[in-house]
Amino acid sequence: MKKLSMRERYNLLTRDLDWTPSYVDPAEVYPFSRYEGIKIHDWDAWEDPFRLTVDAYAKYQAEKDKRLYAVLDSFAQSQGHLGISDASYLNAMKLFLQGVTKLEYAAHRHFAYLARHLDGPGPRFAALCQSLDELRHAQTQIHTLSNYNKYYEGFHSWPKMHDRVWYLSVPKSFFDDAMTAGPFEFLTAISFSFEYLLTNLLFVPFMSGASFNGDLPTMTFGFSAQSDESRHMTLGLEVIKFLLEQDEANVPIVQGWIDKWFWRGHRLNALVAQMMDYMLPKKVMSWKEAFELYFEQQMMQGLFPDLAYYGITPPRHVEHAILEKDIVSHQTYWVLKQFTFAAAFHTWEVDDDSMAWLSAQYPDTFDTYFKPRLLKSREQAANGMHSYFLGLPQLCQVCQIPMLFTEPGDPTTICFRHREYKGETYHMCSDGCQWIFDREPEKYIQAWLPVHQIYLGNCGGPSVPEVLSWYGVEEGVDNHPYEVSPDRKSWDEWHAAAGVAGK
Amino acid sequence: MTTAVRLCGVDLQETESTRAIVEAIEADNPEITVRHVPGLVKIQSVNPVVIKRESVEARLGRPWETHEFQMAIVSYAGHIAEWDDDEIVIKWEH
Amino acid sequence: MTIPALGAYEFTPLDGAAAYGDDQLVIVHREDPRLWFCAAATFRAPRAMPFGEFKAAMIDGWCGSDPDYDPAAATDWRVFDEPLDVDPSKTLAELGIGHKALVTFRTP
Repeated sequence: MKKLSMRERYNLLTRDLDWTPSYVDPAEVYPFSRYEGIKIHDWDAWEDPFRLTVDAYAKYQAEKDKRLYAVLDSFAQSQGHLGISDASYLNAMKLFLQGVTKLEYAAHRHFAYLARHLDGPGPRFAALCQSLDELRHAQTQIHTLSNYNKYYEGFHSWPKMHDRVWYLSVPKSFFDDAMTAGPFEFLTAISFSFEYLLTNLLFVPFMSGASFNGDLPTMTFGFSAQSDESRHMTLGLEVIKFLLEQDEANVPIVQGWIDKWFWRGHRLNALVAQMMDYMLPKKVMSWKEAFELYFEQQMMQGLFPDLAYYGITPPRHVEHAILEKDIVSHQTYWVLKQFTFAAAFHTWEVDDDSMAWLSAQYPDTFDTYFKPRLLKSREQAANGMHSYFLGLPQLCQVCQIPMLFTEPGDPTTICFRHREYKGETYHMCSDGCQWIFDREPEKYIQAWLPVHQIYLGNCGGPSVPEVLSWYGVEEGVDNHPYEVSPDRKSWDEWHAAAGVAGK
Repeated sequence: MTTAVRLCGVDLQETESTRAIVEAIEADNPEITVRHVPGLVKIQSVNPVVIKRESVEARLGRPWETHEFQMAIVSYAGHIAEWDDDEIVIKWEH
Repeated sequence: MTIPALGAYEFTPLDGAAAYGDDQLVIVHREDPRLWFCAAATFRAPRAMPFGEFKAAMIDGWCGSDPDYDPAAATDWRVFDEPLDVDPSKTLAELGIGHKALVTFRTP
């Protein structure tokens, strides 16, 4: 008997198992796929280039896991943590575990929901595979970073922190926004905007950062996950093309989602930008360079000309994002530095070598706008004073980041936007966030803003120590500058010239 | 001002098992550029990039199914225009 | 745009004026080209608090961590871009500083 081709096998084991119900209206079986106004005429037009079936999926995923766990074991057995560039590097990974890991789990749940609620068998199966992928990512991230939890602080309470801590409401609210949207908006937001358009600006910085800084487990996790990401990118691109090709009426709806989710992703990436430029002892490249390569070149010059065929234009506010590439990392690090007393990771003073690198990478902005205050901060630190913000910041109603962003073209002036809605005032950090608010105000007025909640007494109490306790942040251990942290003390002891290796 | 050239391509893990794949791609796609950065092989092309099973097998010295390409791929630029038993094609569509 | 939804889509904000009782939130920004403070500050204060007390307890308390801050030099007060006559004996409410109002000033 002739062996089936990949295409035939895939069709037989996925779409050919589907049927149109005759005993009930299909719209009752799939109640969530019409209310967004998206029109689908032919679900069979969905293309899945990977043509995976469950047997191939399971075989290759198992192989990826085996290879990863071998590396994790080996790293642990060899006291590999002593070989990272510096313990300060791990603050990037604390931010990752606290900020990103629960998003992977949320994605797992939502793709499982899509695996049930999309009308077409092709996308249902792709969603099922992605749901399993995302659960694997969450679990492997936890395992990868658990080794560091044995020796370093700040890794211990990430699930609780993700739900409570002020800077973590940024990624949490991002994903909550997507999960509470309809299935097609979710796919545009996450599969397309996050996993295709912006994925290289989240993943590559963290994983390359790991590679450059001796973090073998995280680097290996990154490669292990990236091979799944190529399927996710494909799903994202396919979703967009499928929606745009199904009906012209879908084009403006999809454009609106691309506009919204580009900006939301760009704001989220502010945390990655500061990580790349400030938290890596061995730098990979500047945020500016990454943005120019992965977004301006690959997406603006590669992807969007491709999508122009369908009538899709580059995202609204993209020019503003491009302007920000010279400033956003510096502005964001400054916020984290001023609130280090309330964070479950450390920041630190910027040394001369790092300042020289930043000057060279940002010739138009660093020396003028950012170096002076970093020097002043260093001077204060030398006199035993932390340059903390002794209060609570103003937050943006949409992105929930402290309103640190400046007017386009003027890095000396904070950008303020606000809106009155049903008798209440709401503040936004930028035209981008304001446009998002104005489009769906009833959504964003529901926000649980950390600062406002602290003032309502919902975060453990009115004082900083009470809030930190509620956060799960251990005072004097997880927070404050790296220079005075237990992590640094441990690192120095373990690397003392005549010391005994390890703990 | 020069018009930007649209490149498609693929990033692969730099490992022993992908060495044969990279050599096969180089042989079958004469005009590509191949860059090695830590851990990665970055392949870029103005034209479609094609990965042929037979070429890989000839260099690997054992049977290889195109599904196995998943173990090697990190990222790609463009659209996966074809993926069947014999070849994978990556290019920009429009 | 009308938000696409499966049913009624109307919500009460968690942090509306009513939630804070006799108090309210006030946002204060010190205009400063050096941007020493990364962002404006959010305070909770009684609506009936005299402005002088608000400035001394909250604004000066916050800005005082900057060694270059001179409380006496604070000038050019505005609320939402409208000039603000900062009579220290008048309350926040009397001065028209409402819930989540943005107050700005600068120190030359």
